[in-house]
Amino acid sequence: MELFLQTLIDGLLIGGLIIVVGIGFSLCFGVMHIVDFAVGEWVMLGAFTGFLLVSYFGQDPMIYLPVLFIIFFVLGWAIYPLIYRAISGKRHNPVLMGLVFTFGLSILAKGGALSIWGYHIQSITTWLSGKSLALGPITIPALRFSGFLFGILITLLLMFFLYKTKLGITIRATAQDREMASLLGTDVRKVGALVYSLYAGVTGMSGILIGALFSIHAAMGVKYCTLAFFVVVLAGMGYIPGVIIAGLILGLLQSFVGVYVGGRYNLVALFMVMYGVLLITPKGILRRGI
Amino acid sequence: MKSLKNAQTPAHSSPSFLRWGLLGLVLLISLLLPWTLSPLWIRIATEVLMWAGLAQSWNIIGGYTGYLSFGHGAFFGVGAYITGITMLHLGLPFGLGLLISGMAAALMAVIIGYPTLRLRGAYFAIATWAFGEMIRQIATILEITGGAFGMQLPAYLNLPFFYYLFLLMTGLIYLTIYLLLERSPFGYKLLAIREHEEAAEMVGVDTVMIKIKAFGLSAFFPGVLGGIYAYWVTYIHPDSVLGAVITDFMVVMAFLGGIGSLWGPFLGAGVVQLVNRYLWLVWGEGTFYLIVIGAAICAVVLFIPSGIIGLLESQIFQPRTAWKEIRKKVKW
Repeated sequence: MELFLQTLIDGLLIGGLIIVVGIGFSLCFGVMHIVDFAVGEWVMLGAFTGFLLVSYFGQDPMIYLPVLFIIFFVLGWAIYPLIYRAISGKRHNPVLMGLVFTFGLSILAKGGALSIWGYHIQSITTWLSGKSLALGPITIPALRFSGFLFGILITLLLMFFLYKTKLGITIRATAQDREMASLLGTDVRKVGALVYSLYAGVTGMSGILIGALFSIHAAMGVKYCTLAFFVVVLAGMGYIPGVIIAGLILGLLQSFVGVYVGGRYNLVALFMVMYGVLLITPKGILRRGI
Repeated sequence: MKSLKNAQTPAHSSPSFLRWGLLGLVLLISLLLPWTLSPLWIRIATEVLMWAGLAQSWNIIGGYTGYLSFGHGAFFGVGAYITGITMLHLGLPFGLGLLISGMAAALMAVIIGYPTLRLRGAYFAIATWAFGEMIRQIATILEITGGAFGMQLPAYLNLPFFYYLFLLMTGLIYLTIYLLLERSPFGYKLLAIREHEEAAEMVGVDTVMIKIKAFGLSAFFPGVLGGIYAYWVTYIHPDSVLGAVITDFMVVMAFLGGIGSLWGPFLGAGVVQLVNRYLWLVWGEGTFYLIVIGAAICAVVLFIPSGIIGLLESQIFQPRTAWKEIRKKVKW
């Protein structure tokens, strides 16, 4: 019973971080209709940038969160024109081209990271590492808990931005009907750039927390790429509120499979669930996807 | 309208006797090749042939149908492992093992394709990518595959034999594509799906069925090629036959050569594999080639989306029209 409760808590806490990775990704898909295969690479680059910042300037990794957000926001802003080029213009299948382009980007980022840092595994420690809250028989690791809080905070901020501000409403309108939004005077290209930069910023920022929680290595992107994909499929592609439920479900699934079946069956279990979802309700568990 | 105008159709501009003569010459040269080359170059030629087959089988679903499979390497690996298992544990002959490998790969493709091919292409891309990752993990878990240590097949060290086997198989693949996709209603249905899926459905194409068939076909060939590869290198492990890099190579080769064309993947495979081997000879083992692949994919998508074959088929080599053609083909 204690193990069960502990696994439950761990799963929920991890779910918080999965939500952060999934939410930007889902937003990006909703607006641009592009699956960004580089999502895991943004996490990886975020983790490495955080690691470099910490090793050069010292201080606690947590204070670099806003710095990372700015760095990756700018990076996303810089890369977006290329993606826009790939998905527009005189190509006879823009979506296909966009997919392949981000696929190429992810290989490029992974290759670059492997060439620079090799297969070494790095880690970041913060003042929260190793501390934990004890709640009766269960312990809540402070770092995981702060990761969870961070996830919730980012999600709330994004939701507030999307549902309460004028810019956010413009973004949602673009996601709903691109052509209509552009007819009504929205600069679709600028909205896309903003969304992509936001997504890159949030995902890169989550990288440092993920790096502090687990470990940092050049091939870590694959795992988060998989998680982001599963989250959006479960949530329904492009349906943002679904990401919260899907992220928590995936966190729970991961931790329960890890404890009761074995960590190496993780991906198999995740794939089975995704296959089942695609087979039964392809629009996500809430049937709200596009 | 725009998409229809830019649809790629096979060019029939050059006289046919020239094309058949050229094809005959290439075949003759490739038949005589093992007598003239050193073992290293026979090896490289064999690899080029294998990759040409792999890139073309990816092209069936990615190029002709317009659905991107980012887990195609899994079919190659599955073929390699199943051939190994049938030869080692079941004691079946090599040829039968190859057939079973191909069938198994095609069956897996049908199972993956059944739910995902009725959705948007993005779902398919995600599901195939995840499938590839899952298969690699399964191969490291199972006992019958030898786990992370891999599997040792009975050794048969006969390089020319494998060269001819790959030549035969790749030749068969190209023949199948030519007959089935370039010259039959099946191919036209696939093109219709790629260009405008709703319209294809409207005129009575059973799109889901056609796509599943195409995916099955495009998985059958890598299964067989994987089997031959396993017998050739005799030692396989999850990273060597199921690594993500196999899919990466297929995608870059097909795209660089020109997707949705018969000879594009062949050209792409030749160029990419020769450059890859050159880098390998100069720098040795490393991860630098990943940067080159990634940059190549991005550059091709951005600047020459119709690939090398698109450049060759245009009038780029005639001085008067060259500049106009470059302006048209190289997107800036």
